[in-house]
Amino acid sequence: MASAPTPPTNPYRLLGGRIPYVEGPLKVTGRAEYTDDIQRPGLLVGRLLRSPWPHARLRSIDVAAARALPGVYAVLTGDRYPIPFGVLPITHDETAIAVDASRYIGDIIAAVAARDEPTAEAALALIRVDAEPLAEHADPRMGTSKVTDPIHAKGLAGTNIQKEVVQHFGDVDAAFARARFTARVRGTFAGVTHAFTEPMATIAEATPDGRLTVWSATQVPHYLHRTLSEVLGIPMHRIRVIKPEVGGGFGGKSDPLPHEIVCAALAIETGRPVKILFDREEVFYTNHGRHPTQNEVRVAADAEGNLLAYDIEALIDGGAWSSFGTVTTYYNGVLAMGPYRVPNFRYKGRRVYTTKPPSGAMRAHGGTNIRYSIEVALDRIAEESGIDPFDLRERNALAPNSTTVNRFEITSTSFLECLSAVRKASDWDRKFRQLPYGRGIGLGCGFYISGSNSPIHFTPKMPQSTVHLKVDMDGGIAVHSMQADIGQGSNTLLAAIVAEVLGVDLERVHVQRVDSDVSPVDLGSYSSRVTFMMGNAARSAAEQLKGELITAAAGLLGTPPEEVMVGHECFETRGPPPASVPFLEVLHRAMEAKGALTASGSYQTRPKGGTFKGAKAGTAPAYSFAAYVAEVSVDVETGEYRVRKVWAGFDCGRPLNRLAVEGQIEGSIHMGLGQVMGESMNYRGSRLFNPSLLEYKIPMPQQMPEVEILLVGKDDPEGPFGAKEAGEGPLIATLPAVGNALYDAVGVRFTDLPITPDKVLRGIDRRVAERRAWKGA
Amino acid sequence: MHLDPFELHRPRSVEEAVRLASELSGQCDYLAGGTDLLPNYKMHLNLRPHLIALEDIPELRGHSFERLGAMERLADLEGDPAFRAAYPGIQDAVGEVATPLVRASGTVGGNLLVETRCFFFNQSFFWRASLGFCLKADGDRCHVVPQKERCYATFSGDLAPSLLVLDADVEVAGPSGRRRLPLSGLYDAAGDGIRRTRLAPGELLVAVHLPPSARGQRAGYKKLRVRPSFDFPELGVAVAGRWDGTRVESLRIAVGGVETYPRRFDALTDPLAGAPLSEEALGRVASEVMRGVRPVHNTFLLPDYRRRVVEVYVRRAVREAREGSAA
Amino acid sequence: MPSRDRLRFRLNGQPVDVFCPDPRILLDLLREDLRLTGTKRGCDLGTCGCCTVLLDGRPALSCLTLARLVESREVTTIEGVTPPQGLSPVQRAFVEHGATQCGFCTPGFVVTATALLRANPHPSREEIERAIAGNLCRCTGYTKIIEAIAAVGGR
Ligand SMILES: Cc1cc2nc3c(=O)[nH]c(=O)nc-3n(C[C@H](O)[C@H](O)[C@H](O)COP(=O)(O)OP(=O)(O)OC[C@H]3O[C@@H](n4cnc5c(N)ncnc54)[C@H](O)[C@@H]3O)c2cc1C
Ligand code: SF4
Ligand code: FES
Ligand code: FES
Repeated sequence: MASAPTPPTNPYRLLGGRIPYVEGPLKVTGRAEYTDDIQRPGLLVGRLLRSPWPHARLRSIDVAAARALPGVYAVLTGDRYPIPFGVLPITHDETAIAVDASRYIGDIIAAVAARDEPTAEAALALIRVDAEPLAEHADPRMGTSKVTDPIHAKGLAGTNIQKEVVQHFGDVDAAFARARFTARVRGTFAGVTHAFTEPMATIAEATPDGRLTVWSATQVPHYLHRTLSEVLGIPMHRIRVIKPEVGGGFGGKSDPLPHEIVCAALAIETGRPVKILFDREEVFYTNHGRHPTQNEVRVAADAEGNLLAYDIEALIDGGAWSSFGTVTTYYNGVLAMGPYRVPNFRYKGRRVYTTKPPSGAMRAHGGTNIRYSIEVALDRIAEESGIDPFDLRERNALAPNSTTVNRFEITSTSFLECLSAVRKASDWDRKFRQLPYGRGIGLGCGFYISGSNSPIHFTPKMPQSTVHLKVDMDGGIAVHSMQADIGQGSNTLLAAIVAEVLGVDLERVHVQRVDSDVSPVDLGSYSSRVTFMMGNAARSAAEQLKGELITAAAGLLGTPPEEVMVGHECFETRGPPPASVPFLEVLHRAMEAKGALTASGSYQTRPKGGTFKGAKAGTAPAYSFAAYVAEVSVDVETGEYRVRKVWAGFDCGRPLNRLAVEGQIEGSIHMGLGQVMGESMNYRGSRLFNPSLLEYKIPMPQQMPEVEILLVGKDDPEGPFGAKEAGEGPLIATLPAVGNALYDAVGVRFTDLPITPDKVLRGIDRRVAERRAWKGA
Repeated sequence: MHLDPFELHRPRSVEEAVRLASELSGQCDYLAGGTDLLPNYKMHLNLRPHLIALEDIPELRGHSFERLGAMERLADLEGDPAFRAAYPGIQDAVGEVATPLVRASGTVGGNLLVETRCFFFNQSFFWRASLGFCLKADGDRCHVVPQKERCYATFSGDLAPSLLVLDADVEVAGPSGRRRLPLSGLYDAAGDGIRRTRLAPGELLVAVHLPPSARGQRAGYKKLRVRPSFDFPELGVAVAGRWDGTRVESLRIAVGGVETYPRRFDALTDPLAGAPLSEEALGRVASEVMRGVRPVHNTFLLPDYRRRVVEVYVRRAVREAREGSAA
Repeated sequence: MPSRDRLRFRLNGQPVDVFCPDPRILLDLLREDLRLTGTKRGCDLGTCGCCTVLLDGRPALSCLTLARLVESREVTTIEGVTPPQGLSPVQRAFVEHGATQCGFCTPGFVVTATALLRANPHPSREEIERAIAGNLCRCTGYTKIIEAIAAVGGR
């Protein structure tokens, strides 16, 4: 769908326009190389034996028969590499292969490398595991008190609680006591998963020079690099991590994953290259998707609709491991801190281990489920107070350059502009509560971090992103960085920023494949950090080169450097008389002194946030804002419904590549729609019943609403060229916009996601049984 | 995902195929488009050491107004506008099967004989082994309705109901020759739910025959599923009828996707002939159909809900057929 | 080698003659034996469309096709719909309209779209939606894919 045209004020040549992906031609021809496309001589097949038990003590594992099978090169069990790891340094509770116990159906308990798949599978079938079943823990509610057979020894005092967060700012009880309007919403959210189209794949090869090379479908090559080193006991400089093209991640490829370590271990054991490629069912078991969650939100407002307080509780089903869970537990509270002023705030969040596939980070991590409940609660307050939902939100919007009660610094925000743009475009004032029964319109809003201020890192002082540039006499500009393009278009943006600063054509810039041997560290694709941080680092590197080139150009033009400007593929002076020298000539002059030009640019956030425990969670150098309106139509006899249109008002600062920003918003809406309409990890007990793309209900093209995108952001002071994130924030508002639209359509509050047609019909039935008419029906 | 070893046979005639099957006595499966069989084989469901591909048997191909070859691709039916005009109900159903890519290979015969489905059955070997196998494959008890006699896997083909309401016959070949039976006789209501048809082992479905009366009926098919593509029916309602003005001449309703076999409700619809169909009468029939079906909890949507929708879809399908798609 | 295990067919316009046991799946043959890796494996069960190829000009799921059954037939993969230089109109439209993000679903969509446009050069939006409903994309929300195909079809 068309977005508003590029504002005439765009001062940039490339940025702010629609820039097709630089690697697009490779992708549309099948020439882009993904991990499974890579061939190595003598490649072995690695396969994993997975636990058929939800929870079991592993007494002994007999691999003799498997080892003896012809064609088998190695069989590994957990005792060989028992060093625990995990994405967060404070919660290392995973091992590459289960050591003493298996903790979910699908947990890895042994691994085989063999000459081909049939042999590997035959070998797996020969492994005998003597296991003693332990108590299954499927329900997180039961895990909050003392249990038999806790899943991890680390759980809070004999329970399965992995993390508990309690925060209180202001005085919530006092605020509720003086509130005129209150609303309470209890939300239940099934787990959802990334379901990227490319299954996980890793290839590893240990070579006689004592080095290990790992190709893997990962979003964060750097964390994989570190974890391989820790668990395998090999210094990082002897490990080389390469990220080929990645077929989608959405958070699911951001943890260092056990199979990546196992694959490397098998390569070391066998001395041969080994590949592990998941089948689709294994992708589902590996999960790390959005947590199944129950939350309860209470909101208080005064007579004018000013928000007084939030009181929030969340019970988060973590699955077998910690993963990003500590962050998740904080985010489920603190990501309620915008886009409104909330003077009093209380939160209690608990993440509980269960014997299910681990949950972790998924697009709009931690901000999605809580946002749904809040926006529904606001809809109730609006209804009760008779204040229009838009007016209510406008009245409470966080102002630019303000600070939240938990000390988030809000710098740029165009939230009000988002609201007014979608209100107008959707014709809200003529539709809200005025569409016929069965048709409805709803508003949902959101905000999200544009990168994390204090990420997982060696030391907080190291830059979060570094970009290297090299230009040689051919005039091509090589760009190195460990940022990980997983489809969001970061390679393209990297190239475009460099080209913009240097005034050259995009085709001069070659973004190199991520390779830890040559790419400087960038923390990779998570927390919506890439445009902001890599963008700033790239800009800084390019500015350095520009400085050198301008000096050379000044010499050639015979003018002082201050008067030299970057032109298109040249450097110019306005004169008089005006003159210009081609880029290549300037470059060659600049190279006379030192050969190829190189530059290194980096970005690090400024310290932010309070000093209380957990104060850093959710701090970011900037935040994106969203206001979405959805229009739905419901078949009131069957409960089936369609989302007809979504108006997406979004503030990502200055959109640097409109094609990519629109793509992120459309894709986010699609993914959000999936979580509202039908996607769910269907567990009975801890058994996943739908580990397939047939029974995991990703929406089809016919279900996609028309999308109208309204990009209304103003330049962010710190973002590169004024930009903020657009990769995750655009998902969040989709869910409550649909939920509130369904209410407008049929007068039923749906707080159990996904909202499948059977639930809609039950809601309508109940309303009819209670003889509560809605919009004349 | 590789397939376990099997031997592939490619007979060139119906007789050769049937002979092969009888020689291999039960140790074989017919392979049509493979879009149902191969996923099941990849999941190690009831593997056989021999596959008899029907690809090379010219007699099984093609379609006319009277006859649908068993090996006719769904996409080929879909692409024929004249066929749509004659049989709107069949066309509705064909267009709802799976996805365009599946329909490009999937056949009429394969669709009528599609394996019944269940959350406990359509799972990998690993998954099923981890829970304990069930009656329908490798095990001895049912996980849906705990007992050891009967399987409740759901019949999930889209075509059968729309052919049932047109009184289609099927032509079947076996070692002792050919026979014709009504399509309704193909599905075994009294069976154990595991064997999905009354075909004898090795019998081959040759064609579907449509009687002259089938043409030009007002017919339609409504399918309940979560997504408008990919998903098997959680319910399929087919209707076909003739009206003389407002008076019903004949009306048939068939329902699939809710029980182990698709079925027709003649006892409810026969009495409607000869009179105009009032909304109450229609409502009554719809509720009776609803009351008559017993879905179990082995698909994505809950059984109670699927039953509720039976009533709505029957009403709508009849109304739409009456009003709309007259041939 | 016994001739029974040889498979002859045309692949992207050229005859091929390969070793192929009965249970070999076309997708495996293409990717692993013939090393044509443009065709992607997303699920192996007919549920994603990443493995779409043309069989005698019509789209088919290579993960649900027994390789032996393409004997004497014409298989066209993404490599085969790509011109020797540059891009096909469908491919160019996919790039220009931003219809590819992670790109993993893209070869399948390009093959499906190519077949659609050959059969129906000016498809309506609804026809496009129906035609691509067997290809899953998790990145784009389909919006730009539909736009790209519509642009080639001139609607
Ligand atoms: C992702 C996906 C979604 C699907 N969704 C649907 C759906 O929505 N609706 C639906 O109806 N189906 C669906 N299917 C199932 C299947 O694709 C179709 O039913 C298709 O029509 C089956 O035809 P086929 O030729 O591929 O059958 P095959 O797989 O070749 O055969 C199916 C069964 O019938 C037997 N058989 C086939 N032909 C004959 C014959 N002539 N004589 C005797 N036995 C024979 C085979 O031995 C086998 O047991 C789906 C499949 C997939 C992979
Ligand atoms: S209904 Fe029972 S016996 Fe039949 S497939 Fe399901 S679990 Fe197995
Ligand atoms: S790989 Fe063939 S459909 Fe998914
Ligand atoms: S572009 Fe990633 S799945 Fe389609």
